[in-house]
Amino acid sequence: MQQGGNNNEAFSLKTRIKRLKRDVNKWSVFTLAIVFFLALPIIFIGVELFSGPGETWGHIVEYLLPDYIWNSLYLVFICSILVLIFGVSSAWFVSRYDFLFRKQMEWLLILPLAIPSYIVGYAYAGIFDYGGSLDLLLRQLGLEFIRIDIMNRAGLAFVLSISLFPYVYVSARAFFLNQANNLLEASKMLGVGERKTFFKLMLPLARPAIVAGLVLVLMEVLNDYGAAKYYGVNTFTTGIFRSWFSLEEPQTAVYLSALLICFIFALILFEKWQVRKIKFTSSKTNSTQIQRNEAKGAVQWMIFLVVFLPILLGFILPVAQLIYWAVITASTVFDMEFVMISLQSFAIAIASAIITVLFALILIYFSKWSTLSTIKNISRIGVLGYAIPGAVIAIGIMIPTLALDKWLINMLGKFGIDTGLIINGTLLALLYAYAVRFLAVAYNPIDSTALKVDNSIPDSSKVLGVGNIRTFFKIDFPLIKTGVFSAVILVFIDVMKELPLTLILKPYHIDTLAVKAFEYASDEMVMEASIPSLFIIFTAMIPVIFLNKLLIKK
Amino acid sequence: MLTINSLSKSFDKGKTYALENVSFNLKAGQVCAIVGESGSGKTTLVRLIAGLERPDHGSIAMNDKIIASLDKFIQPEKRKIGLVFQEYALFPHLTILENVLYGISKVRNKKKKAQEMLDLVGLSDMGKRYPHQLSGGQQQRVALARALAPEPSLLILDEPFSNLDTMLRTQLRNEIFEIIKKTEVTVLFVTHDTQDALSVADEILILQKGKVIQKDVAANLYVKPNTLYVASLFGSTVHINKNLQNAFRCPLKQDCCHAIRNEKIIVSPSSAEADCEYITAAQVIKQIQLGDSTQLVLKLESGEQLTVMTQDKNIADTIYVGFNSKDILEFEQE
Amino acid sequence: MKKLLLAVATISLLVACGNDNKKNENSATKESSKDQVVNIYTHRHYEPDQDIFKMFEEKTGIKVKVINASADELIQKMKMEGKQSPADVLITVDAGRLSRAKGEGLLQSINSDILENTIPAHLQDVDNQWFGLTKRARIIAYAKDRVKPEDLSTYEDLVNEKWKGKILVRSSSNIYNQSLLASIIANNGEEAAQTWAEGIVANMARSPKGSDRDQVKAVVAGEGDLAIVNSYYIGKMLNSPDAEEVKTAQQIGLFFPNQGDRGTHINVSGAGVAKYAPNKENAIKFIEFLISQEAQQVFTEANYEYPVLESVEPVNDIKAWGDFKEDNLSLNKLGENNKKAVLIFDAAGWK
Repeated sequence: MQQGGNNNEAFSLKTRIKRLKRDVNKWSVFTLAIVFFLALPIIFIGVELFSGPGETWGHIVEYLLPDYIWNSLYLVFICSILVLIFGVSSAWFVSRYDFLFRKQMEWLLILPLAIPSYIVGYAYAGIFDYGGSLDLLLRQLGLEFIRIDIMNRAGLAFVLSISLFPYVYVSARAFFLNQANNLLEASKMLGVGERKTFFKLMLPLARPAIVAGLVLVLMEVLNDYGAAKYYGVNTFTTGIFRSWFSLEEPQTAVYLSALLICFIFALILFEKWQVRKIKFTSSKTNSTQIQRNEAKGAVQWMIFLVVFLPILLGFILPVAQLIYWAVITASTVFDMEFVMISLQSFAIAIASAIITVLFALILIYFSKWSTLSTIKNISRIGVLGYAIPGAVIAIGIMIPTLALDKWLINMLGKFGIDTGLIINGTLLALLYAYAVRFLAVAYNPIDSTALKVDNSIPDSSKVLGVGNIRTFFKIDFPLIKTGVFSAVILVFIDVMKELPLTLILKPYHIDTLAVKAFEYASDEMVMEASIPSLFIIFTAMIPVIFLNKLLIKK
Repeated sequence: MLTINSLSKSFDKGKTYALENVSFNLKAGQVCAIVGESGSGKTTLVRLIAGLERPDHGSIAMNDKIIASLDKFIQPEKRKIGLVFQEYALFPHLTILENVLYGISKVRNKKKKAQEMLDLVGLSDMGKRYPHQLSGGQQQRVALARALAPEPSLLILDEPFSNLDTMLRTQLRNEIFEIIKKTEVTVLFVTHDTQDALSVADEILILQKGKVIQKDVAANLYVKPNTLYVASLFGSTVHINKNLQNAFRCPLKQDCCHAIRNEKIIVSPSSAEADCEYITAAQVIKQIQLGDSTQLVLKLESGEQLTVMTQDKNIADTIYVGFNSKDILEFEQE
Repeated sequence: MKKLLLAVATISLLVACGNDNKKNENSATKESSKDQVVNIYTHRHYEPDQDIFKMFEEKTGIKVKVINASADELIQKMKMEGKQSPADVLITVDAGRLSRAKGEGLLQSINSDILENTIPAHLQDVDNQWFGLTKRARIIAYAKDRVKPEDLSTYEDLVNEKWKGKILVRSSSNIYNQSLLASIIANNGEEAAQTWAEGIVANMARSPKGSDRDQVKAVVAGEGDLAIVNSYYIGKMLNSPDAEEVKTAQQIGLFFPNQGDRGTHINVSGAGVAKYAPNKENAIKFIEFLISQEAQQVFTEANYEYPVLESVEPVNDIKAWGDFKEDNLSLNKLGENNKKAVLIFDAAGWK
């Protein structure tokens, strides 16, 4: 019949092309351009792969690769377990129970995010060291010092977990607070006990949220350089640095990065797969907030301890150690320069946070407006940067920016203008690199809040005669504000802590606190590194507390 | 004023169709109801007309101007269509007045106009409130005021009452259509409820699995339904399948599908009293009192079960049921 | 909220532009003769270096602009920047990387009588592409209470059965270990070096980790008896603000190995003028200043390194360790053999 003809026709090549012509709009073009811009460093690294690995590749495969793989797997496994224990238990207790100091603990639990994990690593080495704080303390108490060796693989897993668990805490708590109430009440009505409700109902339901946080943690674990190096654990990332610098073979480093990236993609695919299997989380926020049980007596103390432990280990102990060191070294290290460096770090972090968030907003909304479903998928390429080690992104940025600079110098040279390097070695290159590296950090919270806004709301605006851009400013933005601000803060904190990329790309006379801390530490002046570290922590703490307010307000 | 021509839309590249080869016309000033179950493609049709989706095939024209086709697409903001969403979609961060003002920011005297709209829907002094402070029915009326404010030439209501309870729903439906009649706008009214459609629509369009089954005035849909599905939408209907044909000994045309309205089935205590061509004895298995009528579950002589309605109060254990050939509805085989 | 965001954005942009302007000044100064500058790429993250830079600025009026990063990263950066590199001087904390930079064609030969005559021949490049500034010896730190110094002799002797489970040394990714092995390759050949590395791994008290200071602490903690470390870390520990570190350092003895034959392995922190230095003259002046009496004094006093300028007395802590015979191997060899050393480490399983 006629209908069949219509069907064939509707998806014949000719009609498809016709439709494509109709549907391609400026948003599609802009999205593609921006994705290309953000993917450029990754593309350049990909191109490098075709030039083959360096001559020591065989050597690495023979002697080192098994170690890299084994250690990385070990870290992924142990960190997953520890992070889940710390993150989920604390998230459940603070959202389900009311107990002593709950409000304070709620934001204290996010604070470990403010400390770069390599600094936590230094602090713990200092605590457990011979002649370290624990030793001193025990001797004061007249006790024998039992030396706990923390500088090994297990210690590294502990340090990374305790400094990264807030990622899981934050996403799990958001789920428990906003989406769990109806189900919780239903479970209570069925007469199911607390423990069973948690393990049989809440935990499986929160799984997508928890795993999303866990994937972030694992990416950070795999990208860690400072702590792994100090603790003498060979991982992919230390291997990348070793083959690039000690073996002088950037191509080999690129090959290792490619392997690492495969590893990380496997993790991401795993996340996608497990979320797809369970699609029962409603994307809309539940209007009723979870009702807290008041904990009393022994239960209250038990809960208090469970929640306090990660705070103690992840924040109080390392910071106390740093403060101790800072007091000893203050006279030699501290000067007004630190205030300047702090301001610079702050300004750079804010600027890059805003730029990165703008990119994320543009990607999310332009691809939405482009109406071509493929564009939306392509736009996700832009967030791959987070999976790639900072040092590798730095190479990927230097190649194209230098080429562009050289071209500019040639062009302008013809007119007798000598400019020197315009992009490379300036703030532009650095901000570009941060945007590439941290786009995912901004993308995810914005995207998830945007998903909660029902499509019919911006749609009504359009039907009422208001175009995309005005709809965005008048309707979408006010509704996703919390997501946007969370994104700004998260990128801000990450940039404050970022190290390898900054080391390579930072311009003259700009120092960041992270660089300063690393300079000291890499030169075996761990104690002197405490002051810049504390500056990082305090600069990052303020927005972390602010972030918590945002998350709760939701 | 609205012409839709062989419109198709698929969300999986042609494997299945949300909407397939849909064509119909809408005259200016008419109220047309689109009736269908969930998943029948109603919402897709609405979104295509509003410009929130793009057709894979076919065209949509308004006032003889193409607004969507394979090579042309007018953005939703340029279509001058008013749309009231199922979930109202009020802007939660704007007050009621601001919501209504939203679509008329370029109009002169917009404040006055917006207030008029609020007066029209009977929410004159609610302007300063926020959507979440209003009841569902009030929110619905705000959504209507907002959609009507820019004076659209076509107003689409997408399942506007499905979130309300039955009592409120009838009341609000009448109120809202009274308001709409004052504005003389052309209305496309999407619903899954035939009562809604029957009570307000000039014409009703039945959508099933993405296809238009029938489009007609309400009376015709009852008398001359195109399919068994349409027939059962507008009154309880019994499908006369092969077994029933045997039970009543009424051989019917082979390649057709037959049905009879429940109220045309005659129930009587004896075969003599019953005035019908086809008749059979039946045992009453179960009686259910439904207010002024009674539902009977019968076991026919042949062993078939049949459910019928009757006004009679005194039912014997064994009765006679039957019907006349003039009352049989005949459809093409589905 | 929007206003807040705007305000923050504006401020940050202002700061950022301010920084950018500064940068433009930098590049502008390349041509302008008014404002003399010298751009330093340095791996030395020592606080006292800042003082030396300030002294230089005061003395010459030439502004010192610094990029601090690891030498490896700086070399990669210079390679990528090519002719456009703003670097005038590259400073590293080991000779190996300087000779690598030379091999990559990143440095240039310079003529400076002061440098050539003051610095001992084996501490500078044969082509005058780089010059040593300070010396550090890789020595053996031993537990005074458990080890008799008489039992110690050479690096080679450390593979002896008697040290089984007693040796502490950091990771092979550390350049000082790489240089030490490179010197053994140069002196004894690759095969011997391989055997040596394997022997050390067999004698290790624990898997390599931590810094040189951590090795010293581990000796005192009793994890092992010997640590292979750089001399100046002991000096730093003896003067640490942390009383515990001072106590620790006091409990160990220093042994300079191979005094009977080629001498103790030394390395230098050194500098070279970049191939495309925009301010070559200033660069030479700067390096010359670094080996002046006053600069060398700061190096040894604040950082416990051995000065290359013989007329400068090392500080008391260092003097107490006494004079020693140093390996006069040309330090270029360290760079040449560096990669081989890394490969041997990997093959020997030295983490």
